Amino acid sequence: MTRYALRSMASHKLRTALTAIAIVLGTAMIAGTFVITDQIRNAFSDIFGTSFAGTDVYLSRRPAFGNGNGQAQVGPLPASLIQQVRQIQGVAKAEGQIQGIGSLVVNGKFVASQGGAPNLVVSTLPKPFNQNTLVEGHYPEASGQVALIQQLADDHHLHVGQHVGLTTLQGVQPVTIVGVFRFGNVSSIGGATVVATTFADAQRWYDRVGKTSTISVDGESGVSPKQLKQRIAAQLPHWVKVQTGAEAAKEQTDEISGAINSFFTPALLAFAGAAVLVGAFVIFNTFSITVAQRMREFAMLRTIGAMRRQVLTTVLGEALMVGVMASVLGILGGVGFAKLLGALFKAVGFGLPLAGISVHLWPGVIVPLAVGVGVTLAASFAPARRATRVPPIAALREGAVLPRTWLSRFTPYIAGLALVAGILLVFAGVTGSGPTTQRLLTIAGGAILSFLGLAMVSRYLIRPLARAIGWPLSLGRGASGRLARENTTRNTGRTAVTAAALMIGIGLVVFFSVLINGFKESFLGSIDKSITSNLIIQSHSQGNPVPLDAVKAAQHVPGVDTAVGIAFTQVKIGNGGTDEANGIDPATLPRLYSIQWQKGGSDALLGRLGAGDALIEEQFAKSHHLSPGSSFEVTSIDGRHVDLQVIGQYKDPVLFSGFMVSQGTYSELTTDRNPQVLLVRYADGANEDATTRAVRDALKPFPDVNVQTNAEFKASFSKQINQLLYLLYILLAMSVVISLFGIVNTLALSVFERTREIGMLRAIGTTRFQLRQTILYESVITAIIGGILGIVIGIVLAWVVALGFRSSGIVFAIPYGQVILSLIVAAIAGAVAAAFPARRAARLNVLDALQYE
Amino acid sequence: MGVISATDVTRRYGEGDAAVDALKGVSLDVPAGQFAAVMGPSGSGKSTLMHILAGLDRPTSGTVSIDGTDISELNDKKLTLLRRHNIGFIFQFFNLLPTLTAEENILLPLQIAGTKPEAEWVESVIERVGLGDRRRHRPAELSGGQQQRVAIARALVSRPTVIFADEPTGNLDSTTGTEILAVLREAVDTYQQTTVMVTHDAGAAAIADRALFLADGLIVRDSPCRDAGDIMAIMADLSAR
Repeated sequence: MTRYALRSMASHKLRTALTAIAIVLGTAMIAGTFVITDQIRNAFSDIFGTSFAGTDVYLSRRPAFGNGNGQAQVGPLPASLIQQVRQIQGVAKAEGQIQGIGSLVVNGKFVASQGGAPNLVVSTLPKPFNQNTLVEGHYPEASGQVALIQQLADDHHLHVGQHVGLTTLQGVQPVTIVGVFRFGNVSSIGGATVVATTFADAQRWYDRVGKTSTISVDGESGVSPKQLKQRIAAQLPHWVKVQTGAEAAKEQTDEISGAINSFFTPALLAFAGAAVLVGAFVIFNTFSITVAQRMREFAMLRTIGAMRRQVLTTVLGEALMVGVMASVLGILGGVGFAKLLGALFKAVGFGLPLAGISVHLWPGVIVPLAVGVGVTLAASFAPARRATRVPPIAALREGAVLPRTWLSRFTPYIAGLALVAGILLVFAGVTGSGPTTQRLLTIAGGAILSFLGLAMVSRYLIRPLARAIGWPLSLGRGASGRLARENTTRNTGRTAVTAAALMIGIGLVVFFSVLINGFKESFLGSIDKSITSNLIIQSHSQGNPVPLDAVKAAQHVPGVDTAVGIAFTQVKIGNGGTDEANGIDPATLPRLYSIQWQKGGSDALLGRLGAGDALIEEQFAKSHHLSPGSSFEVTSIDGRHVDLQVIGQYKDPVLFSGFMVSQGTYSELTTDRNPQVLLVRYADGANEDATTRAVRDALKPFPDVNVQTNAEFKASFSKQINQLLYLLYILLAMSVVISLFGIVNTLALSVFERTREIGMLRAIGTTRFQLRQTILYESVITAIIGGILGIVIGIVLAWVVALGFRSSGIVFAIPYGQVILSLIVAAIAGAVAAAFPARRAARLNVLDALQYE
Repeated sequence: MGVISATDVTRRYGEGDAAVDALKGVSLDVPAGQFAAVMGPSGSGKSTLMHILAGLDRPTSGTVSIDGTDISELNDKKLTLLRRHNIGFIFQFFNLLPTLTAEENILLPLQIAGTKPEAEWVESVIERVGLGDRRRHRPAELSGGQQQRVAIARALVSRPTVIFADEPTGNLDSTTGTEILAVLREAVDTYQQTTVMVTHDAGAAAIADRALFLADGLIVRDSPCRDAGDIMAIMADLSAR
């Protein structure tokens, strides 16, 4: 029987290939996810391994809470600690290092990193801590000297001796390039720019006078890093974190791994999962059709003594081989997919360092293989079961039909139930209170269930939908339109599953479009509603603050009424959870931002916002059970505790989540006085354009500062959101492509099935062109049905999710343009899918087709 | 009692007013080694009778036994095993697997049963049906007559108690049909193979040992075969009544 299954596959190479592609692409996405996450992890492991290779013990400030999202920057250590450490027995060398963010300024323009990687500034460490390799010149020795990582020098044609600028918190500093180095022995760390300065310069420029970010310690020979660590830790206060170099490298690598494992991998796997689900539909449909076409074969096998189980094994054996073959190809294709992903992320500004490609048995090979084979077998099980129900007598009779099972009577009810249950599950997942992973899995499960439910229900919708969509086509001359319409309703189950495969891809596209559009609209809406200033100023480099000097410069521009920075950082609330602390100037805030007060508050509360007072956001109040009059404790990342008294409540979950405190209170929470955002309001009657120009001129000395009017800020925000959407579209495109192969397969099999009928049509005068047209229309009708179903389920699911997130300010807003575009894409996809089967049908020889048995 | 034995077999399709009695009480006995032809016009019930004798359909009443086993009460699994070991089939439309070669098609019943083919026996069957030089060909590369030879060999290969042939010449031209009947006759004689053939072709029935005539669900005549003319006379007689 195995041989029979093998032969059957080999003699239907095209069918097998088209079926296999459905699984190849999905497994390639799974395998590619593992390849690229492995590459990122290895790259960071290499980077940190190199960084700490010459360090025995590493000192830094101990963060007061797990800083998973990296929003709060841990503060510096006092520089006096360096001397203190040097006195400790067994210490051969101890040096401080400053790490900051800054870019080079060449000919008045600042030099950005590639693909969103950071722009790093580090002070130069001596040997053995410095693991870099000098390529040219020397490391900075005197003030104003810098050395560059090789890639940066190469990309921008910078050479030793050149005079350039460096953005710092003290404005742009003139510097001279004195050296070019490689990091370890690589020329670049994932596109990041790295500028090395002297320790003293870095202290002055990055607000670290009398301080150091970290301390690297080298032990005397005979003292193990572990012993040295214990000795140092015993003599220093508890807020100094003491690690061996190896521990520090491992911790920083683990932090990256954690981020990859908790977000990156699951997100990519979710898209791979969607592709696999679509593949499952294609496989189910292909096997259903071929089982129906091979009924006579199965009946004959049963007649000559094959057991039901043997028939089942034949079909499943074929599925197994398709699954194995496709998964193996998918795993190989995963390498290509990983490369594609790497290029994609770089293109949208998520540039990440990538190590060489390596594929591991676990999970890189085993998971995609298991999923690919498992899904193929699962999807072909129902058709295989149906093959076993073929009565032997069908071998002797024409036109035998399969008996209906008792279950089939309940199918519509089960399908409807699954659809509703799926949607409810999604809602439960969104609003539930369990751990995030569990909630996300609930949402995913609900979405899958609703897709399956709609796919099963859709067979009852095919007739009316096909009639409506085919109506304009049937008006044309000739019978093509009418025939196509009839063909789609001939086997509604088949059309439904074919359309359903496309429905998933389009459904997810619409789901994300609607959801993200809602997020965008709520953000833009909040800006329009609340921001009353004229300019929104931030750093070009993500996570970098706006220098206080820039704030001062803006304040002195004529025509500017108010220019005030807003600072924010993550803090720990009480003893559970972190949230955002916003440092504001109560006196000027109403000029820049209109607060939506709750619980009877008014702007008068701002006047009373003194030391230790806080205004809390509605969601924050809810999650920590606070209200005006109550108090709470917050802990900064550096371990400073502050008790806060709630004096008022407002609502703005989008721009000012968490709570607000005065700048004075805020400064107790962080050493960093530079604000993240600078809002500028013009004086009444000032010429807007002229003032904007004047502010830009005044901020020229701060080239990494991005001066945007509200309209520009909104436009660049929309652009970023759109880039995210494009990334999602590309990831979802795989699902759509797979469903296209499904349409090709269904049509090709239908053409094969109707060979005699096509011969008849040709014999009575149908032209090749008309025949092609019929199949083209049939395909387009099916695709549009899939598109419509996808749009409906996508909008419903997005609505459910938006409903669940309503309290976080997410609105439900349908982007009509994008929705209509997705329908057009579906129609075009249908037309593309028809090309091959239509050509095949048109090429059939009339006589052969008529005689075909 | 013969190898095949049916007693008072009736078969009713549908219910109530729409009920059709395809068989109204048929009893017959086929002894071992006999080549019996079941004849009758369309709708006489001859196909139904064969389906029931072969265990593909169940009688409404009456019993059928093959080699002493009452098959009317067997479940699907036992019936499958019975077909596997005791029954061979030859179909009007050949029903070969297009992806397998002639020889592989012939060996298929043995493979399904998981029995190792005896090379000598298989050789003898292939030679007997005259396929010695065509064994590596696929069905699409064979003529209709050759395809039916493959089907005959496939029916013979498992040495069944009885072979059922359903209009074996129905899809062949008359010359080829005659050849196929000769092959069948020879096989029956050589291997003492009990065979039941359903046909409406008098020429085909003439090569059998015995002809059973069915009309309106009843056996109306059961006579030894002499020649085609004789049989046609009986047919004419039956349709005149």
